[in-house]
Amino acid sequence: MDFGVLQQYGPLLLRGFATTVFCWLVGTLLGMALGLLIALAQRYGGRPLRWILQAYIEVIRGTPFLVQLFVLYYGGPLIGLRLDAVPAGLLGLTIYGSPYFAEIFRSGFTAVPVGQIEAARAIGMAEPVVIRRILLPLGLVSALPALVNFSIILTKETVILSIITVPELMYQVSRMSTETFRYLEANLVLALFFWGLVEAISRLGRRLERRITKHLVERV
Amino acid sequence: MVQASAVEIRKVNKFYGPFQALKDIDLSIPPGKVTCLIGPSGSGKSTLLRCINFLEPYESGKILIDGQMIGYDAPGKPMSGRRLRDMRRSIGMVFQQFNLWPHMTAQQNVAEGLIRVRGLRKPDAEERAAEALRKVGMADKMGNHPARLSGGQQQRVAIARAIAMEPRLMLFDEPTSALDPELVGEVLGVMKTLASEGMTMVVVTHEMGFAAHVADQVAFLEGGELVAVDTPSTILHHPRDARIRAFLRTYHERNAF
Amino acid sequence: MFSIQTFIDSFGPLLWAARYTLLVSGLGIALGLVLGAAICAAALSRNAWLRKFAAIWVSFLRGVPLLVQLLLLYYLLPVVGINVPAIAAAVISVGICASAYISEIWRGAIAALPPGQTEAAEAIGMSSGDIWTRIILPQAVVMSLPALINELILLVKASSLVSVVGILEITRASQAQAATTFRPLEVYLAAACIYLVINLCLAAIGRWLEHRAAV
Repeated sequence: MDFGVLQQYGPLLLRGFATTVFCWLVGTLLGMALGLLIALAQRYGGRPLRWILQAYIEVIRGTPFLVQLFVLYYGGPLIGLRLDAVPAGLLGLTIYGSPYFAEIFRSGFTAVPVGQIEAARAIGMAEPVVIRRILLPLGLVSALPALVNFSIILTKETVILSIITVPELMYQVSRMSTETFRYLEANLVLALFFWGLVEAISRLGRRLERRITKHLVERV
Repeated sequence: MVQASAVEIRKVNKFYGPFQALKDIDLSIPPGKVTCLIGPSGSGKSTLLRCINFLEPYESGKILIDGQMIGYDAPGKPMSGRRLRDMRRSIGMVFQQFNLWPHMTAQQNVAEGLIRVRGLRKPDAEERAAEALRKVGMADKMGNHPARLSGGQQQRVAIARAIAMEPRLMLFDEPTSALDPELVGEVLGVMKTLASEGMTMVVVTHEMGFAAHVADQVAFLEGGELVAVDTPSTILHHPRDARIRAFLRTYHERNAF
Repeated sequence: MFSIQTFIDSFGPLLWAARYTLLVSGLGIALGLVLGAAICAAALSRNAWLRKFAAIWVSFLRGVPLLVQLLLLYYLLPVVGINVPAIAAAVISVGICASAYISEIWRGAIAALPPGQTEAAEAIGMSSGDIWTRIILPQAVVMSLPALINELILLVKASSLVSVVGILEITRASQAQAATTFRPLEVYLAAACIYLVINLCLAAIGRWLEHRAAV
């Protein structure tokens, strides 16, 4: 490995990394928000709405992320949706993640014992309050491991954004490797980098889980 | 002198699909008294209890709480969520599985309804919660989360959660069935105190001793039908109906080992 | 505006290209099953080094994006003197990646078996080989089938990435089609439809297997 190259391309790679983190964070948070809305709408909405949302979930989960990005980025302008690479990538990540997040939230909600919700209704709590004070906090806790897990999967999906020219880390690495012809080294470093990143986030996630669920574990 | 009922149940029917869970139930719950609902499992006694605060909707008939019908403005016309919630405020409920909210401490569990439903300010709600918890003997465990409490302690907190709302009526759905035998006494003790203070109580229970000593009237249900309503001594010691005798025989055999 | 004609016309070439999608994901899962079994065996072995190797294998392949793995292998093979066509590199890469997930699926299925069954077999004096082939594996394989179908669905979607090394599967073919027709929206939507139909069929098979296993 030639470290001179790294020095030369250092700033570029750092910018790429920053873009990767930015896309991941924003895409994940928006995807979670959209997923939460979908899950709540499925729980409280009428049958037609539930049916439409289920179709949305099936379609997004049944098609590759890359093809979704192509539809959005190259197909969008035909229907007047003209987006730069980064916004297109963010929107793509949001849409791609939303059905998975929705399913995670849905099963998180199902894991909340019906009795605890009935107890809230029995003392006359209004439904929005039941959602905010009982359903969401308890549902989130049981959904947490799956949320962390899927957020980690999304870090890996960000590299696909490079194909629609989002200047994230993978994009910059490919640029560097075409200019220096060091394809193997570049991809090796990238692989090790992601490995470390994902391992680190997983550990962090497990620690977060333990802290949040601490008082929920029975210890009589 | 005719005393108005706290709860008046008239010709109530309840279906789960084709299955009829309650058949033409007529029952008056007198105010300030304890009514026990007994019967074999699947008899409809829990369903009837859950109809009283409309956690289970009933299809026909009427349930009047202090003269006001719950669940419907008029027969066939469901009442708004807001009016239903207003009525539920004055009906406390205690569940078999306690149903405490695991992410809140004992005190927060009790204060939650006071803040979110009664609109009390947090310090006031916490004070009232502490008072209710003292009453059930849980003052020293206020800061504990439910996971750190025994079943009996959890159920006492659940009772405190209900009485803190100052209900006019308390519903108990098999409050001791999920408890280890040695923990049953502490919960029944709290309930006895409540009864002696003149709380109107409807209790679904398998504790025949509690029914015999604390109840003012006992209703026996089987197969969704109300078989008999009478004083505890008549139902438990001199039952006229063969179905009640059969039920009591099974009960005594099981408890005599 | 949206051209229905272009949308419909796109299906011809894209469906023809779908054979490569199916080839890459099909061979990928086959390789993944074989490698996954070996990794799973290593993970469950008594040898600490084998267990360590399996743990690193799984952790690396699950931590690194498939696109990076694919390019890494694509550039690595010639350097170590293996000259194979791009399609072979693609299949190997997809298969290796799948092996990590499949080994975990099998490990989970084996762990989910009640230990009482093994004890019951031991109690009547069954050999450990017989316990594995007669008791554990038949159940674990059946139990893991729905999860394996799920993995296959993931591979069908992941196979779109091999377009970057020039395999003319659905995604690559739709790129070419979009470039010649200048109608990317119609073409990519047609591609999405094909993926969706393949995956819905697979999902239906998965549900059927799950239902059968539950009976």
